[in-house]
Order: sequence, then C-alpha cells, then structure tokens
Amino acid sequence: MDFELGPAGEAAMRLVFTGPPQPALTRALLKIETQANQRFGSTLTDSVIGYTTLTLFFSASALERDRTEAWLREQAEVIALTDDSDPEHSAADVVLPVLYHPSVAPDLEWLADDRSLSIDNVIALHSDATYFAYATGFAPGFCYLGTLPAALRTPRLDTPRAKVPAGAVAIADAQTAVYPCESPGGWRLIGACPEPLFNLGITPPARLSVGATVRFEPINEADFRALGGVIA
Amino acid sequence: MNGLQIHKAGIASSVQDSGRVGTLSLGIPPSGAMDRPALMSGQHQLGHRHDEAAIEMAYADFAATLTEAHDVVVTGAPVQLRINQQACRSEGVHHIKAGQTLEVKATHEGIYSYLHLSGGIMTTPQLDSRSTSPREGIGGLDGGFLKDGDIVPLGAPDKSVCASDPQLTIKNPTTVLELRFVAGFQFDDFADEAIRSLLAEEFTVTAKANRMGVMLNGERLHSGIAALYSEATCYGAIQVPPDGNPIILLNDRQTVGGYPKPGAVISSDCLRLAQSRPGQRVRFAACSPEEADRIGWLERHYLETRLRDRH
Repeated sequence: MDFELGPAGEAAMRLVFTGPPQPALTRALLKIETQANQRFGSTLTDSVIGYTTLTLFFSASALERDRTEAWLREQAEVIALTDDSDPEHSAADVVLPVLYHPSVAPDLEWLADDRSLSIDNVIALHSDATYFAYATGFAPGFCYLGTLPAALRTPRLDTPRAKVPAGAVAIADAQTAVYPCESPGGWRLIGACPEPLFNLGITPPARLSVGATVRFEPINEADFRALGGVIA
Repeated sequence: MNGLQIHKAGIASSVQDSGRVGTLSLGIPPSGAMDRPALMSGQHQLGHRHDEAAIEMAYADFAATLTEAHDVVVTGAPVQLRINQQACRSEGVHHIKAGQTLEVKATHEGIYSYLHLSGGIMTTPQLDSRSTSPREGIGGLDGGFLKDGDIVPLGAPDKSVCASDPQLTIKNPTTVLELRFVAGFQFDDFADEAIRSLLAEEFTVTAKANRMGVMLNGERLHSGIAALYSEATCYGAIQVPPDGNPIILLNDRQTVGGYPKPGAVISSDCLRLAQSRPGQRVRFAACSPEEADRIGWLERHYLETRLRDRH
C-alpha cells in the first residue's frame, strides 16, 4: 500500500495511506497506533486517526525526527491489509436505539419524498446496514460512520442549522453520525438517539471509537421516552 | 466563600491554564492560554509552584471585587489597572485587600491579558486541566466564557512569595510579522500559483480572529484541491477553505478538518499572531523541520533562563 510521511507542524508526524478509505486500512492505522504507543511511551502525547491518516503528536522537544520517521516508514512498509473481514456484514459492536419520526427528524419526510421512498423504506435502509467508524472529531464523541446505502446518500444542507440537538441521527454524502451534543450542523437529520454518546463522567467518555462497528435499531416513541429521549 | 466577584467580564474572558494534553483523540482541543509566556510570567511572579490557572481577557474590559485579600499580577497585553478607582502601574505584584475592586482595561496593544491571583483559581479541573473550551462546554466556570455576576472560587494564598517580572510581554513589530511555517500536509498538492502567493505576498490579520483561529486576508489562495478526507489538524495549521483566505488554527481549533493545509506555523510565531490586532501585516516564510526544532529549543531555553528562581 502506498503511503506518504511528513511533518504535521513542528511537533507531530503524519502518515497517510494514499488509497481510498476502507476498514482494512483503518485497522492498519489502529495497529500502527498501538505499536507507536508501546514504542514512544509518554513522549507520544496524542494520536489522531483520520480516514486515511495517522497523526502522532509528541511533547515539545521529545520528537526525534529522523528516528521517528524511520520507525514509521518501517511500520508502514510491513503492514499488509490482510484483514479482509467485511464489517458491513458482521455483528455490530455497538447497537444504538433510534426513533425515526418527523417529530425529531426534520429531514426524514424530505428525504423519503426526494427518493420516492416510503418513510419505512428509509428506516429499513438506514437500520439494516452495519456501519464502520472511520474517524472521530468535529465535536467530542462525534464519529464518522460509513458507508451509507447508495439510495440514502445526500449532500449537506446549503446553510447549516445553527442548532442541531444532542442525539440527532444525521446523514451526509456516504456518511452517517449521531451528534453527541447540541451544536451547529449541516447534515440532514433523520432520527434521534436517546442514549448519550459522550459523558466525561465515564471511562472511556466516548461511546464510539475508531474501528468500531455500529448498527441502528428502530424504536417507538414510548421506548424513546423511556430511554430518556425528549421530543421538543 | 473566597472568590472573585465579577461585575464586568468583558467580551471573552475565561479561566485558562496551560491546557489539556492527550485529548485530541476524544475530539477535544488543548485550549489553554493563548499567550503561554504571559501565563508563565504570572505564575512565576506569584511563586506558583503548580500550573495555576489565570483569567484570560481578550481586549480586557474587566471589573471584579475580591472577597479576601490576594496578591495579584496582570501579564500579557499591556493594560490600565485601577484598584479601588485608583490608577496604578500595571506591572508587578499588587496586594489587594478584602473588598477592594480591581479594574483591568486594554490599551492599544495586543489582545490577551492575564489576571493571576495568589492561592490560584479553584474551579474544578476536567481532564486534568482548568482550561475552558467554550465550544465543548468543558472546564473553567461551567464550561463557558465568564459572565457579569459570576463568582470565581479562589484558593487561600499561602505565604507571599513574589519574584520580579521576567519581562516576557510580546512586542509585535509595527511593520510585518513573519510567520515561519513547516511545510507539510497537502503542500505538494497545492497549485503552484497558490504556493507562490503564500510565499511571496503579504497578508493582513482580520477581525475574524478568536481562540479557535485567526483569519488572514490578502491574495486569495486557490489550492486546486477538491475534496479531502478529514484528518487531524494541529496548532498553527494553515487551513485554506474554498474562499481562499487562510486561517491559522490555534488553541480551540477543531481537532480534525477537511480543508487543505500547506503546512503549520511554528508555535513561537503563533503566539505573536494570537496577540496581533486586526490590520497587523504578516508574511509567511518556509522553515525546515530542523530549523523549527532549533527555534523551539532556543525559545524554551530563553524561557527557562528568564524564569530561573529569582525570589
């Protein structure tokens, strides 16, 4: 697999695989991240996995540039994308309950109309799939999940909403996600998840992490309320 | 309760220490003082052994009353200081009695000033830091910017240990501020014309500047790069959105982003940029990673020398 190595500013190194995102590639990045934690210990202060990238952050003055680059090159060269298990057809690590209803999902009817689908079809398409967690970020606990069934793919809103409520289940392009906390957002909202996705009071604080497989489970309004969901 | 009763918080005041380490993978930015040397200067002058927090004030317009006596230092962007309506010199350590009122007002230079109080700020740390990340609602007082009427809890001052001012105030050039950057990320994929402009043209700091980043204005940079897969950002990253105005990402940046980046400004120049007012002229200069390491080493050595115990 082709890769590039380089600096990310003065205190971080960036590894990018030049192929398209895929679960096997993410798993390779996770493997290298684990090895980096063992190799560099506390001088490695943080690491962030993107769709095709691993960025390693070092404490100031602790980055031995040449040795780190040589080590990363070695890892990237030997890693093989051997893992060909298909996460989209295996059991999910995390199942998130979702109320798919226009009362909590302002774009659900629009999406069904736009695709000439019934709302039930949209729900079935979104909840039958198993998704893979490619990256985290944007907001604490926010996780980019793929791959959305082709029939549901839709561009972002031209003007993002100023306020998307916590728990909103959203889609954009080939991705889906749950907004962990209230924030602005340009994705289309098709449901609501009553379970918290991020809580600093528990370890780990984020419910979803890179490499996890996720499925959405349709629930009714009574279950939604029983699980703590609120309908505005 | 031993506290600082805020009458006037100003436009963007928040509790900040040196920020968080190791939270990027959670999607939480480091936050922390925008001007680290200013934070360290106040800690040094009050003899704080630990990483005590300070109140960071952007374009300070701040007034508060102390319920107990504390030693107080203001560092960072120069200010006018009044204690019980009496103007006093702003430098050095001031002893404020219980019930006295403190007013801090920005002057014409810099942006971020820091109010340090002996005994330290006793808000509850989150993820090992008291720094406020307002967008995430983490740290500080209830996770947000300070408001009129807030009471910031303070610790009991131990015996007064004061050191002289280490003179770390950032003085920005009246002409052009050089932003040295380490090329990386999508540098090689940027259109030649955009790189030429980045290296040759002068840019101006705009009013679209805050703890997340500083937008510059000048020759538009058209990267020619269409879509990118989201990836980690970093301190100082030069982010180029489709409108072509570069944004230099700072303490409260989003931890990932999908805009192309030709590199990242080195931290010592980021501090100067953070303290630059709109209209400041800037110019980019490429610097090798090794050169960045050397500058970083010299800056750390300089700070250590200035902050050597001189109690």
